[in-house]
Amino acid sequence: MNVRRTLAITKKVLRSLRHDRRTAGFLVLMPVFMIAIFGFTFGGEVKDVEVYIVNLDQGVGNSSLSDLIIAQLQEDETLDIVEIVTSTSNVSDPASYGREKVEDGDAWACIIFPENFTSDIMAYVVTLGGETSSIDLMLDGSNTNIVQAVTASVQGAVSDALTEDIGFVPPIQVQGEMVYGDGMSFIDTFAPGVISLAVMMVTFMLSIISFIHERTTGTLARLLATPVTEGEIVLGYATAFGLVGLVQSIVVLATALLLFDIQVEGSLLLVLLIIFLLGVGMQGLGFLLSANAKNEFQAIQFIPLILFPSILLSGVFWPIQAVPALLRPVSYFLPLTYAIDAARSTMVRGWGLGEVWLDVLILAVFAMAMLALSVLLMRKR
Amino acid sequence: MDELGPAVAVKGLCKEYGTIKAVQDLDLSIPSGCIYGLIGPNGSGKTTTIKMLMGLVRPTRGTAEMLGHVIPIKGLGLKVSYMPQETALYADLTVSENVQFFSELYGLGPELMRSREEEVLKVVGLSERKDDLVGHLSGGMQHRASLACAMVNDPQLMFLDEPTVGVDPELRAGFWDHFNMLKKEGRTVVLTTHYMDEACRCDVVGMMHKGRLIAEGAPGELLQETGQSNLEDAFLAFIRRCGR
Ligand SMILES: Nc1ncnc2c1ncn2[C@@H]1O[C@H](COP(=O)(O)OP(=O)(O)OP(=O)(O)O)[C@@H](O)[C@H]1O
Ligand SMILES: [Mg+2]
Repeated sequence: MNVRRTLAITKKVLRSLRHDRRTAGFLVLMPVFMIAIFGFTFGGEVKDVEVYIVNLDQGVGNSSLSDLIIAQLQEDETLDIVEIVTSTSNVSDPASYGREKVEDGDAWACIIFPENFTSDIMAYVVTLGGETSSIDLMLDGSNTNIVQAVTASVQGAVSDALTEDIGFVPPIQVQGEMVYGDGMSFIDTFAPGVISLAVMMVTFMLSIISFIHERTTGTLARLLATPVTEGEIVLGYATAFGLVGLVQSIVVLATALLLFDIQVEGSLLLVLLIIFLLGVGMQGLGFLLSANAKNEFQAIQFIPLILFPSILLSGVFWPIQAVPALLRPVSYFLPLTYAIDAARSTMVRGWGLGEVWLDVLILAVFAMAMLALSVLLMRKR
Repeated sequence: MDELGPAVAVKGLCKEYGTIKAVQDLDLSIPSGCIYGLIGPNGSGKTTTIKMLMGLVRPTRGTAEMLGHVIPIKGLGLKVSYMPQETALYADLTVSENVQFFSELYGLGPELMRSREEEVLKVVGLSERKDDLVGHLSGGMQHRASLACAMVNDPQLMFLDEPTVGVDPELRAGFWDHFNMLKKEGRTVVLTTHYMDEACRCDVVGMMHKGRLIAEGAPGELLQETGQSNLEDAFLAFIRRCGR
C-alpha cells in the first residue's frame, strides 16, 4: 500500500468534482434541500415502543385503579411493556430503576403510578374536590413522535379505564418529565437522520456512477496497468468520498444550527466520525454493485433498490418501531439504521462513544467489509 | 541488442471467450530495442494479446515473460507502459491533470514530473492546450493526450494499441520520429496499426489472423518471401498459404 498513489487517486476524484461545478454544488445543497423539504412531511404510526411501568399504587381495599389502567395499556399496540415493577418486586427503588432503564436506552419511557394513586382519586370522587392524583412519565424525548405517542396512549388508557369503572374521568395529571431531549423540537429529531441519509445517498450514487464510468471508458484497465494496486484505488476513492461526506455533513450541521437552531448535546466530532464511516461503507457498496453492472443504465437501477428501503425503513423520519414487524429485519440490514441511531443518540441524548460504540463498530465493520470485497472483486478478473 | 534477451517472450498463449478463440497458441519473441508492429484485421486478437501481457485479461493457457519477469506482474510499472485502444482518459480533467495523475501513479517526484510533462506534451503537440479539459479536445487530440500519458514514465517497453489512429499526417510523422529516437535509446515499442505504411516502418512485423500469428519478420523479408510488392498483398498471400 503506497500512500502517495492512494492520495493521487483521491486528488484525482476531488479534482474532477472541482471541474464539475454543478455536481459539486448539488453535493452541498441537496442535503440542505432535504432538511427543508422532508422536514415538514413527517409522519408514521408508532408501534411497539418499549416502556417500563412502575406501579407503587397501594389501592383501596381490593380495588386498584392503576391495575385497570395497566390492563388498558397492555392492549395498546403502541406500547411494548417490558416489565411491570411494583413495591413488592425485588427492586430497592422502583422509580429510579425505571428511570435508569430510560437513561440506558432500554426503554423510551417509564410510566410511574404513585403510592396514593387510587386513594387520591377515590377521595376526589367522594368530595368532588381537593387534590387529584397524577401519573408520572419519564420520557426519552429524543424522538418527538414517540413522546407524543406514549403520552397519548397513557391519556387514552386513563380515560378508557376510568370511564368504565367510575363513570367519569377525574382530572388526573399526566406529568411528563424528559429524561432526554428536554426542549427538543421536530427538527432536532430528524436532523441527524436527514444528514445521514443525504451523505449516504450522495456517496452511494457518486460511487456507483464513477466506477461504472471508470470501467466503461477503459480508465480502470489503464490504471491497473500502472503500478497502482486495487487496494490503493479503492482506498483512494473511499478517502475522497469520505471527505465529500464530511464536507456535506458540516454544511448541513451548520445550516441546521444557524437556521433552525437545532440542539446538539453530544460531540460533533463523534457525529462526523459516524457519518464518515457511513460514507465510506456506502462508497464500497456502490463499487460492489457497479461491478455487477454492464453499463451505466444497469448501474443506475441499483440506486432505487438501495435508496427506497433506506429512506423508509431506517428511521430517518419515523422510528423503526413504526416499521411493520415483517419489514423490520430489513431495517437491521441497512447500515443507515445504525448511523442514524448513533448520530441521533449523540446529537439529542448527548451520548458518547461509550454508549454508541456498538453502532459505530457495526458501521466500521460494514465499511471495512465493503472495501475488502471491492478489492477482491477487482482482483478477480 | 541480443545480449539483453527478448523484451517480450510469449509461449503458447491462448484466450478463449466462450466459443470465440480470441488468441490461439501464440508464440512471440520481441527483441529489445526494436519497433514491433502487430497487424491483422479487426478481431484478429491484437488487443487481447496486449491486454494479456498487461495483466488485464487472464490467459486461458500459456505463459509470457516481459523484461525477464513472468506475467502477470505488478511493479514493473516504471519500466512498462500501455496505451489502450480506446482513449481511456478522464474527460473531466485537463490534459495536464491527466498527465500529472499518471506520473503520480508511476511515482515520479515533483521535479521530474514537471520536466516529463513538458517533454511528452511537446511530442504530442499539446503544450498549448494543456489546460483544456480532455473532453473539450478533438478526437485526434484526445488520442494524442492518451499517448502522452503512456510515455510520461519514460518506459523501457511500451505497448501502444493503435497510437496513430485519427492523428493527422504531420503529427504522425512526428510520432514516428519520436519512436525511432526511443529505439535509438534502446527502448522497445510494440504497437498495433491498420496503416500499412506504418507497418513498413517497423523493424519486425507480426501478422495476426483469427488469433494466430501467421507470419513474422522484417517487412522486407515478408515481401521477399511472398514475392509481393506491398505488405497488404503479402498478408493476403500468407492467409492463403495457411488456409491450404
Ligand atoms: N471481453 C470480451 N468478451 C468476448 N469476446 C471478446 C472480448 N474481448 C474481445 N473479444 C473477442 O476477441 C476477438 C479478438 O478481439 P481483439 O480486440 O483482440 O481484436 P483486435 O485485433 O484488437 O481488433 P481491432 O483491430 O478491431 O482492434 C474478437 O472476436 C472479439 O470479439
Ligand atoms: Mg484492437
